[in-house]
Order: sequence, then C-alpha cells, then structure tokens
Amino acid sequence: MIHLEKVSKNFQPNVNALSDITLHIDAGEFVSIVGQSGSGKTTIVRLLISEIQPDAGEVEVGGWNITKIKKVQVPLLRRQIGVVFQDFKLLPKKTVFENVAFALQVSGAPRARIQQVVPQVLNIVDLSDKLHRYPQELSGGERQRVAIARALIHRPKVLLADEPTGNLDALNTKDIIELLLKINEFGTTVVMVTHNKEIVNSLKRRVITLDRGLMAGDQRVGKYVI
Amino acid sequence: MFLHALSRGIIFALQSFWRNVWLSIATIFVIFLTLVSVNFLIAVNVIADSAINVVKERIDVSIYLKPDIQESKIAELKTRLESDSQVKNVVYRSPADNLADFKAKHVNDEKIKETLDSLNGNPMGATLIIKAKNLKDYPVILRTLEDPILNEIIEEKNYDDNQLVIDRINLIASNIKRVILAISIIFIIISILIVFNTVRIAIFTHQNEIAIMKLVGASNWFIRFPFVFESILAGLFACILAMFFIYPLLSFTQGYIGGFFGGADFNIISYFNANFFLIWGAQLLGIIVINAISSSIALSKYLKV
Repeated sequence: MIHLEKVSKNFQPNVNALSDITLHIDAGEFVSIVGQSGSGKTTIVRLLISEIQPDAGEVEVGGWNITKIKKVQVPLLRRQIGVVFQDFKLLPKKTVFENVAFALQVSGAPRARIQQVVPQVLNIVDLSDKLHRYPQELSGGERQRVAIARALIHRPKVLLADEPTGNLDALNTKDIIELLLKINEFGTTVVMVTHNKEIVNSLKRRVITLDRGLMAGDQRVGKYVI
Repeated sequence: MFLHALSRGIIFALQSFWRNVWLSIATIFVIFLTLVSVNFLIAVNVIADSAINVVKERIDVSIYLKPDIQESKIAELKTRLESDSQVKNVVYRSPADNLADFKAKHVNDEKIKETLDSLNGNPMGATLIIKAKNLKDYPVILRTLEDPILNEIIEEKNYDDNQLVIDRINLIASNIKRVILAISIIFIIISILIVFNTVRIAIFTHQNEIAIMKLVGASNWFIRFPFVFESILAGLFACILAMFFIYPLLSFTQGYIGGFFGGADFNIISYFNANFFLIWGAQLLGIIVINAISSSIALSKYLKV
C-alpha cells in the first residue's frame, strides 16, 4: 500500500530531514511512526501527500508513484488519501457540514450524493447534531472528529494522521484513537505520526521509530522506545 | 460537469463574500474611492475640454469686401469658401447690416453721425464671417484668399488681429491636454496599484484556507474561480456605488460649473448620460480585468502547496 525506497530529503544543506529511508506498509495495517521533534515524521506525511518531493529515492502510495506524479494529478492523489492534522486544518468560514462536503465537492460529486453521504459520515464521528456549527464553535476533540470525517468522506484506502491528538486532552485523545482503530477495522490503512508514548504503548501495533532522519526501529508489535 | 463546477464556484464566492462581509466592504470601499477619483478626473477632463471648445467657438475670421462688389460675386466667393473642407460655415452680412451695426455701435458719437449723413449712400461693403472646423485651419483658409483675383474684391481681413489670440489658445489648449494626459496616466497607474494591493491583501487573509483546500484535493481552478469571481463581484458593487455617488455630486456641482461657461450650452450630467455606456462600461470592464488579473496573480503564490 505504501512503499518508500531509499528516500532522502534535505531542507537545508547538511540538514537531513530523512536519510535513505526504506519501509513498506501493507494494506489494512495500523502503523505508528514515532520519534522526537525533527526526526522526520512529518516529512514522511508531507512526502506521502506530495506536498514535497524527495531528493532521492522513490515513494509509492496506493499505486501512485509520487516521485513521478504530474502536478495536475496531485489533487486526484489527495482525494484518495485521507489526512488528519494536529491543527485540524478546517475551513473557518464553512460549517461542519460544508467542511466535510467540500472534500466531495472538489471531486465534482453530485449534490444528491453529498446530501446523503455527509450526514452518514458525520454520524460515524458522532457529530450529527452539530452539522451547522462553525469550527470555532466546537471543542478541540469535535474539530478533530470533523477533520476525520472529512478525511473519510472519499472512503480512502489510506488515512494519514499527523499528531492527531497533539492538541487534545486525555479524554478526547482516547476518543480519537478509538475512532482511528474503528476506521482501521473497516479495512483502511492507518498511518499515525505521534510522539505520545502512552498511546503508542497501549496500541500494541506496528511501530516505526525515526531518529534524526534515520530509521531507528521497525517492530511488528512495538513500543515507544526513544 | 463544467457548468456544475461553475455554479458551485459561484455559490462558494457568494458565501465567502457574505461570510467575510467586513473584508468585502473594505475591498469595495477602496475600489469605490478609486473609481470616484477616476470619475473626478473624467469630469475635469471634460470641463477643460469644453472650456477650450467654448473659447475656440468664439473665434472667427471676417473678410470685409469692397462696397462696389456685385452680389453674385459675393455669393460665388461664399460658395467657394463653403466648399472648402476646412471651413465649418460662412455667414454673410450685407452692407446694410454692417451699416446698422456700425451706427448702433457709435450711436453717441456725433461726429461719426454727421460724417455718415454727409456721405451719399452706404459706404460699407458686405462681410463674410468664416468659421473653421479647427483652430489650426485658419492660416490655411486665409492662404487660399491670397489669390490675386480675390484681392480685387477683398478690402480687408482681420485675421492678423486674431492670430496672436489663436496661437495662445492653441498653446494653452495643447498644454492643458498634455497636463491632463500626464495626470490621467499617473492616476491610472495609482488606481491599478491600489486595486491590485487591495485584492492581494484580501487574498492574503485567505492563504490558510487556500492551503487547506489544496490539501483536501481541490484543483487550482476550483480554488481560483471563487476568489476571482468574488473580486469581480466587489468591483461590480464598487462601480454601482460609485455611480450612485457621482450623479448627485455632478448634479450639485452643475450649477457652479454652468456659471463658468457664461451661458454656453454645457451640462456635465448630459455628457455623462450621453457617454453612459462608454464611461461606466469601460470602468466596469477595467475594474473586472484588473481584479481578475490581480486575484489570479495573488492566488498563484498560495497555490503551490
């Protein structure tokens, strides 16, 4: 599903964000990518959504070779990958419904389908009573659930979560992780970038550890070791 | 599919216009002020042009003919002058008219009165008053009158008296036109820069939204269109607002402007009405083009995510 082959990325001369990373993630896996700040975790997410290009190596996601992708194909790729960010990245002037619907509207989905699917997805994340609220009227946990609903609306094969609980309290963190596990149970590959030791240890799933841009560990049932 | 995306883009634009109402008002207000300045410049241009034309209209050349010339010869000369492409019109004044005018002018001068009474008959000849289409045409027209055959019937031409005035008016007119052209160019450049920066700032406030749209898979066109449409909408509202502001202002100032023309037929509102589509159409088109280009350029910076 996801394959990185000898990927390197430098943002400044002599500062390696990623060095010679090779990893493979199968369909249906739940993988945590862990490491300290500056270890290159977010760089991997940015590479996977084609926000940046690697300096060396190849990146493949769901059949797309990102190193060879054309600019016009980038929106198509992003519609097939769900992404959840630490800062939610919701459109502030759109309601909960409109934020989720927007992800469908960009792909030209008909109005009738949007009216049918968006409430269903918002029901999954337990926000069906807040369809017409604006993001600033929601709690952090609710905003992150909107972001997850938006990421799920295309029924993506891969869900990338970049520090999804970074801005949340313990209770909301638990809710979000349970939601991600539920999504994974339905067959979606989940890649979660985090530095939350408690979560990673409690999950008992695959853990990829990065340290200063290098691969420091890859355990099938891993723990946060750094 | 295209129409579907287009209608969605229009809805997004209208939504954003309304939900960012203060930003929209600020943008409209700056464009409105720019348009008011442009219209003020148009009005000044028109007033200056009309003032020059009024003065030019009052200039003519009189040809005083010898008293003993036959009417047929005068008519022949008049027809010849009228056939000249540079001549606007030729007015004939008979010897009797000239005498009456002269008497009226010197009604209190006893000596002139006595002299006229002592003369046998009318000592005055006819006059032809020539008006050229263009101020610059007078020397050309008069050159044609230098014909030796015509010298036998022409007593005097008063062009030499007018030469200095005409030259000065020509110089002032061309200087005024040059100054107005320079001011117009500076104004237009300033207006474009103001509108460009206003649109750029408006889009700058949306840069995070644009990045989010890109991350959820929106194509550049899908993001660009609502912003461009929104800025066009701002231009349209500003234009309508400027129209509602300019007409009452022109109506208020018409009374003062009319006084400058000393009874000459000039109405600034009539000018704006007669050229309504040209003035407002050009401004609307200009503002739409500037807004569309500005928003496209400003957006391209944020579409690289």
